[in-house]
Amino acid sequence: MNIVKLFQEIDHYLFGLILIIITLGLFTLASSDQSGAALVVSQIINIIIGITLMFAVILMDPKKLFFFAPFLYIASLFLLLFVVFFGYESHGAQRWINLGFLKFQPSEVIKLTTPLMLAWHYAKNDGDITLKQHLLALLIITIPFCLIFIQPDLGTALMISFVGLVIIFVAGLPIKFISISFILFLLSSPFLWGILEPYQQKRIMTLFDPFSDALGSGYQTIQSMIALGSGGLIGKGWGNATQTYLDFLPESSTDFIFAVFSEEFGFLGVISALILYLLIFYRCMFMVTRMQDTFSRILSLGILMSLFFGLIINLGMISGILPIVGVPLPLFSYGGTSMVVSLISIGIIMTLYNNKTLIAN
Amino acid sequence: MQKGEFKYTFQKRLGVITVIISLLVIIISLRFFYLQIFQYDFYKLKASNNSIRTIPIEPARGLIFDRNDKVIAANQLTYNLELNKKSQYDLDELARKLTPIVKITRDDINKYQKILANDPFLDTVAIKTDLTDEEVAAFTANRYLYDGIQLIIRQKRFYSYAQITSHLVGHIHRINKADIKTLQANNKYQRYFASRHMGKTGIESSYEDVIHGYPGYKQIEVNAKNEIIQTLVTVPPIDGSNINLTIDIELQKIAFNAFKNKKGALVAIDVNNGEILAYVSQPGFDPNFFIDGINKDAWSKLNNAKSKPLLDRVIRGLYPPGSTLKPFVALAALENDIRKPPFKINDPGYFTMPNGSKTFNDWKKGGHGIVDMAEAIKVSCDTFFYGLGLELGIKRINQSLEQYFFGRKTGIDMHNERSGLLADEAWKKNKFNKPWYGGETAITAIGQGFTQVTPLQLAYATALIANPKLDQKPHLLLYSEKKALYKNNQPPPPVNEKNIKLIQDAMTDVTQDGGTAAFLGKDIAYKIAAKTGTAQVFSLKGQEYDEENLPERLKDHALFIAYAPAEQPKIALAVIVENGGHGGSTAGPIAKQVFDYYIKLNNF
Repeated sequence: MNIVKLFQEIDHYLFGLILIIITLGLFTLASSDQSGAALVVSQIINIIIGITLMFAVILMDPKKLFFFAPFLYIASLFLLLFVVFFGYESHGAQRWINLGFLKFQPSEVIKLTTPLMLAWHYAKNDGDITLKQHLLALLIITIPFCLIFIQPDLGTALMISFVGLVIIFVAGLPIKFISISFILFLLSSPFLWGILEPYQQKRIMTLFDPFSDALGSGYQTIQSMIALGSGGLIGKGWGNATQTYLDFLPESSTDFIFAVFSEEFGFLGVISALILYLLIFYRCMFMVTRMQDTFSRILSLGILMSLFFGLIINLGMISGILPIVGVPLPLFSYGGTSMVVSLISIGIIMTLYNNKTLIAN
Repeated sequence: MQKGEFKYTFQKRLGVITVIISLLVIIISLRFFYLQIFQYDFYKLKASNNSIRTIPIEPARGLIFDRNDKVIAANQLTYNLELNKKSQYDLDELARKLTPIVKITRDDINKYQKILANDPFLDTVAIKTDLTDEEVAAFTANRYLYDGIQLIIRQKRFYSYAQITSHLVGHIHRINKADIKTLQANNKYQRYFASRHMGKTGIESSYEDVIHGYPGYKQIEVNAKNEIIQTLVTVPPIDGSNINLTIDIELQKIAFNAFKNKKGALVAIDVNNGEILAYVSQPGFDPNFFIDGINKDAWSKLNNAKSKPLLDRVIRGLYPPGSTLKPFVALAALENDIRKPPFKINDPGYFTMPNGSKTFNDWKKGGHGIVDMAEAIKVSCDTFFYGLGLELGIKRINQSLEQYFFGRKTGIDMHNERSGLLADEAWKKNKFNKPWYGGETAITAIGQGFTQVTPLQLAYATALIANPKLDQKPHLLLYSEKKALYKNNQPPPPVNEKNIKLIQDAMTDVTQDGGTAAFLGKDIAYKIAAKTGTAQVFSLKGQEYDEENLPERLKDHALFIAYAPAEQPKIALAVIVENGGHGGSTAGPIAKQVFDYYIKLNNF
């Protein structure tokens, strides 16, 4: 069968690192799981689905990706639209689609399909990239941004636009336009502040002094910082996270799972995990530099940015330097869509790397 | 842009991105380093504050018994309905909802609000106290209807003898903000963090340190919903010591009731050791009402009453001693070698100042004829003492009286004892800016001048005559559970035995034929040594004193000091009946009831 081929195609180094991170996340989830082992079992199923799909992507002809890119992008836009009208509401935001047998978050999917569309767009116009192409790229980003922003899911919306802007940047947007856009952004920031929901404004404000509203919007930040800080150098040990098992830490299995990890394993655990993530990043970056064609490069870089902006926003959020915006930690947080999409993303990078010469021709 | 150029830009900008992502990860790790290493102690404390609660445990207050182990101040279990201080309640709505089970009155609500406003550190405040068994049963059965109302069992102080011991035992009260400040200033706050009450007056206040005990606490771990996960530490409280008073509650009852509806005070002291056997201030009040704060109307009624029920007359009531001072003035003369027997005078019924400036009358028109000192005490001859006083002089009179604890505190184990007053030149100059007249010395000698004494001072001085070797302060504590017997030495005044014998004999004669309290000596198996006294409340300005027709409140105070048995003294006392008229006739019988009981009880 394809097993032998699969074994050869997999990047062993990258796959090993990812398995370690996933295992750490699973262990942390097990200690914070108040529902017996239901979450752990469900997460293991998510991982198995994710890895299976990753393998499928690796064995797939990467050219199909190029071919299907616009359809996938448009399909995910429809899913977002569907969420806006019929979405399943939870925690005051409509983010989920409930198909009965499974719930999933289209905003996680769009993190993958937007870079895909952008890669398709730049590859299509390869060798003739003008300002017009960059403006079109901006449009490709703006549509999903708006649809996610009204859910409202500020975190994911900002992430998509960051990823998109990085893609435009590496695609060669001239420096003067970057400078002009930056100045425009600064000038319009008061207006942008005005269109934020009051609770979003409050979240940003409490960032500067979380203790000013310790029981209100600062609560999550404070409890998370307490979890981190009380972990100290070596942590309280696995299963001893009082902030978690006494329920002080909110969302301890999803967005705040790394706070649990920090409380249990301390600063040494945190540094180890960050080094693992950086190794994944550098390995992927190395793979991107070896790629020959515009589509592969831009798609891989976009996917990579999605993962690592997720990492930075999530860690910034739990350590109190960024507002609470509800972005999961890739490969670590509990959550099916996020896990499956992250694993597929890694699979795409692997297959693009494996087929770099093939695609180039 | 051309292909090759694009590739070059892409690679260059890829480098920029790599650097930016690496920097961001480094910033994140520095942030973790700051929180987890630098601020570790701060957040560790925060984490334990989050989950660990300290629950104070109140120590049980020591009980107060009389000398025969009868309970004077008890602790009773009561059921309260209490509300959480942090929550908001619509009290009227709450009262309406509770009505079928427990009636909440306007008074209850006012009391609740008063406590809520003043109470510094409670977590729950009672909306209704002392529920009956039926109310408790009804509430328990319908508990689900009353979310946020807690049924709490507490220990409540109960003063079994109410009025009878009101000033003696005093009462506790709710700790208020001012108390907290005082406690903090005295470094005692640590002992009170679990308590709602502390001693305010009487024994409850003066032995607060002994009775109160030390609080304990429990540390529990709670989750974010405040549910208890486990108990970490339990430090039990140290309960306050029980104490026994020197009071004999049966004697106290007899003394209290002997006043009937009269105002006044009575103190009875064991002359051999200074133990106070009865401590009565009439009228009394029910101290039970003060424990959780008395309502405004009841308080102003008590506070404004003409009979001054809140005044502890024993140690804070100031009275002119009248003729009860004569034995002490006589002793002062004897000790100064003045007017010793066989010195006699012929009393014509009045005394004229040597310079002729003023004439003072004896209480008996026509005088007592020829009297010596013993006779002068027996018949309470004023004329004898006018002359004696003048010769002795105010300075020597006061010196001697001061030795017998007039004009200064006796040192009883109660707070706020008053010193009374021994007036002299300097005092008058200071107070009225007027000179001292010889006539004032003369009337001081018969107890009518500026001199003011407390009933306790009279009783203690009488005990010192009955037993010149009494070397203990007057006191109320017999012993406490954890301490030895009360001992507090106070050397008696030095006195010549012959002199004291003369006074004792003269006082014994007061209850014999011809004495001012002769009626007390009739049909009695033992002898009483006594001295009567009458203190003017109202200056009649030359008019005749007509006891029958004077309004009650202007009548003279009746005073009586005595000890018994006269030959082998055991018990000394002082009685004051306000507006009681002549000393012997109203105060004497009260004293006799006390003696009868005590002598019979002890087979003296």
